[in-house]
This record gives sequence, C-alpha cells and structure tokens, in this order.
Amino acid sequence: MSTTAVEGSPVGDLTAEAAKPGLGAAAWRAPRGAHGGEGPDSSLRELGAAGDGHGPKSGGAVGGDLAPSKAPMGELQLRVAERAGRSVAVRQFHRGALRVLRPHYLDQSGQVCYVMVNPGGAYLGADLYVVDVEVEPGASLLLTTQSATKIYRTPGSFAEQRMTIRLGEGAELELAPDQLIAYREASYRQNTHITVRPTSSLIMAEVITPGWSPDGASFKYRELRLCNEIQVESDDGAALLALDNLLIRPALGDVTGTGFMEGYSHLGSLIVVDPRVDQALADELNRLTAGYEAYSGLSLTRTLGGTTGLILRSLSNSTEELNRLLGACTGLLRERWYGRAPLDLRKY
Amino acid sequence: MSSCQLALQQLTDSALPTGAFAHSLGFETYIERGVVSDEGSFGVWLSAFISQQLTYSDGLAIRFLFEGADLGELDVHLSAQLLPRQLREASTKMGGRLIEIGTEVFPSAELEAYRALVTTGRAAGHQPLAFAVVARSLGVPFEEALGAYLFAAVTSLTQNAVRAIPLGQNSGQRLLRKAHDDVAAAVEHVQHLSWDDFGAVSPGLEISQMRHEWQRARMFMS
Repeated sequence: MSTTAVEGSPVGDLTAEAAKPGLGAAAWRAPRGAHGGEGPDSSLRELGAAGDGHGPKSGGAVGGDLAPSKAPMGELQLRVAERAGRSVAVRQFHRGALRVLRPHYLDQSGQVCYVMVNPGGAYLGADLYVVDVEVEPGASLLLTTQSATKIYRTPGSFAEQRMTIRLGEGAELELAPDQLIAYREASYRQNTHITVRPTSSLIMAEVITPGWSPDGASFKYRELRLCNEIQVESDDGAALLALDNLLIRPALGDVTGTGFMEGYSHLGSLIVVDPRVDQALADELNRLTAGYEAYSGLSLTRTLGGTTGLILRSLSNSTEELNRLLGACTGLLRERWYGRAPLDLRKY
Repeated sequence: MSSCQLALQQLTDSALPTGAFAHSLGFETYIERGVVSDEGSFGVWLSAFISQQLTYSDGLAIRFLFEGADLGELDVHLSAQLLPRQLREASTKMGGRLIEIGTEVFPSAELEAYRALVTTGRAAGHQPLAFAVVARSLGVPFEEALGAYLFAAVTSLTQNAVRAIPLGQNSGQRLLRKAHDDVAAAVEHVQHLSWDDFGAVSPGLEISQMRHEWQRARMFMS
C-alpha cells in the first residue's frame, strides 16, 4: 500500500469522526478505512496550489453496529472552491467504478458543473459506492449524473451508496441526479449525510422509480432505504435540521395503496436548505406543484441557526412528470436566488 | 391489582386533556379527497397509520427511551424526522400538555429533567417521549406501555373520525375492536426494528399530512 502524503491518505480520513453517545447505531454509517492503497485504477489530483492539509471530512455519528467493512466498488472525492469568481475543483480523487467527466460551465455565473459517471452502468449485490463532496465558502457546484442509477438483483445482500456533503458559508450545491431505478429482487441503501453552514444553499432533487419486471408488474424490488441527514453547523456546534428517512419494502407487504404510495408508482423528492426559505416560498411552490399530474405535499422544517429546510414529496406515475415538476421548482429557485436559467442538461 | 394499572389508565384515557380531539394527523386530507368516507375506508387509513407512523416514529421513540437512549437526542431526532410541520407541532403541543399534566399528577425526577430541557429550549417536548418518560417512571413494563400508548392514539383518532366523517358510535367501536390486531402487530414489529428504521414513515401519509396545511375547510389542526 502506498500512502501518499498529500492531504493525508486519500482514504484514511474516511473513518468516522467519533462515536456518538447515547443511541444505538446512527442512521449514517461512515465507511471504515479498510480499503487498499491506491491501485492502478485510482487517480488523485491536486488542483490548484492551496494544499491546506484539510482532508475530506466524513461526518456523522456512528454507533456500535457498523456494517461489515468492505472495499468500495467505486469511490469519488471532489472539493470545489471559488477562485477569482469561478468555482473550480481543488481536489479530485476517484477509484474504481466512479468518476467525473471534465467540468463545464453552463452559464456565466461561475458555477461549475460536474457529471458523475458509473462506467459499470449499474449497482449490483454488495456493491459499495462512496462519494465525498465539499463545496468551500462562496463556491457553487452543480452535481449530476450521466444516466439513471440502476439497481439490479442483489441476492442475499444490498447495493449501497454513502455520500458525505459539506457546504461552507455561502456555498451553493445543486444535486440533480438522474432517477434511481430498482429492478426485480434489488435491495439498495443510500445514506447521504449533509452538513451545511447557516448561509449555505442546498437544492437536491431525486426521483425513484420501480423497475418493471418481465411480467410487467412494478414494485418487484425487495427493499429501498434512502436516508438524508442534514446538519446545520454554526460556531455553536452542529445540530440536526432534518432526517428524511425513506423505507419501501415491497417484499414485506403491499406498498401500493392508501397510506403508502396512494396508487402511484414513482416518488419524487426535493430538499432545499437556505436562509431564504420561508412560508411564502412554501406557499408559492405549493401553488406551482398543483399544475402537475402528481400528488404532492411540502412543508418547512424548523429553523436552526437562521436557516430553514423545505421538503417536497411527490407521487406520480411518470418519471418525466416528476422531472417537470421538480424542474419547475428548482427553476424558480435558480432564477430567484442565483439569477440562473432553469436547468437544461441535455443528456443524450 | 398492579400498582401502575390505574395510573396507566388515567394516562391513556381519551379524556386526558392533551388536545388530541383537535388533530386528525392527516386523515382529514383523505376525507377531503373522498378517499376516506366510511367505516371501511377509515379502517384502511387507520391500519396504515398504525403500521407506519405509530410504529416507525412513536413506537420506536418509546422503545429507544425504555432502552436507555438519550432523551435529548431522541427529542432532536423526532423534531428532525417529523417533516410535515403540522405533525411536528401536534406532537409538541400534545407532548407539552402531557408534561404539564404528568408534573401535576405523576411527578418524577426524569419528567422534571425533560421539562427542564423543554423550558430552556433544549428540547421540543414530543408526545411519545413525554408518555414514555412518565410510564417508565411509574414502572410500567415496556410492552404494556407501548400497547397502551398506541391504543390511546387509535382511540382518539377514531373518535375524531366518528365526528368528522361522520360515523355512528357503534361503527367507532367496531373500528377499535378491529384495531386490536394492528396494535398487537405494531408492538411486535417495533421490537424487531433498528435505529436505521427510525422515522421511516410512508410517503403517502407524509404528503397527506403536508397537504393539510393548505386545505381550505378544516376541522382539525393537523
């Protein structure tokens, strides 16, 4: 194992910060630093000269019940900073089946856009993907994917993605992945642990679709477990703002009806955290959602350290309709807050 | 007669003035949409509510407290995971009343500690936790406490449905009898869940609870 001195070992800091007292296993489980060294497939690039010795901080509480350590199938670390009015990557590391395409700039705002790519094209049983993203103060990142995340059969196991996101003061992150498709007999866990500062701006949208099985029935996957944990970190310490925990287990009982999916097949969600989030915005977005063929609801979190979260959930029968609805909401926010046009990623 | 039996009955009586009569916890949205309109359709909603909301949120909170998890941290988690604002407010409104009543009639050091956290703004004071603190201080065994809490919640909701839909009183009693099995299943289920499951409430229930904020004609606060 070759240990590189730059910013510490690229993987060594990924272990948990500290165990949190009191509770059993916390929702977020940081990976253990049990990976090999930099193999031939890994790439660590130090971009810019600002080596401040600040390694990737994997946040989160870890209790006693850690998942068995396994080497990630794919690993990606990205740190974006503001340099002379433009956001640029100052650290970029990938290994295995995850990488990013060359950055591009969609407009004149300085926001950098990165596209995550999984060359394998799919998540299979026991696959672990680890993504670590930091947006430094004042920087702006749009992070998306090249194509849908597809979860195939995971016999006796589950595919997993652990994502850690840290936003500095005034930092902006738009997270806009393509839809997640879970096929027959798939189990998947996705933990996203986000730390924002009171002046950070976060917009994340996600669509989950049930992959169709050969017999045409939907909801043939075994289990989907997606958890977004959002902490607000101020000088007084960190506090939990929102815990968005989704668990769909068609294998254990009907999930299609009243009180669960309400007869719909697709689920969209939007999470916004920003000091400008208020009830007037919630009212406005609520009116906006009424124009779509979807069953939607949204609500505000409590306010912590001067910032507030907004959670929107939407059920529909079509990925396109949910993408239109979520696109309308993020389009409104992009224009109002950032002076940017609605997203048009033109992915073909 | 066990020493805590009457205390538990008082604590879970639907006449306990916590304000439960003012909350539908989302079923009023189903009434407005026409999805809940009679005994059968309310029973479907109630069953989903017991196996989702009351299991993954309230039930697990009570279990973790009985297992010795940190009260302040559980309180923060409930505030963070009750995403529909009205539901969060319902939980802390009723929780606040329960803490007041408990302080009057079943005082304990544990309840006093929770009250202190709430009055100093370090905790919000959620209903299932307030109940669990009092029940635990009275020596009520966990399963008994959980079953009583769940059935008390079911009773309040059913009484509210009887007024709102409206249903006949016998209808309400049949619904409650039918709910026995769901409550028993929930008590069992809660014991097999883990920390990762805490707060995993179904999207349909959550959306309906959120939509209630914008509903025009409302009988209930949630």
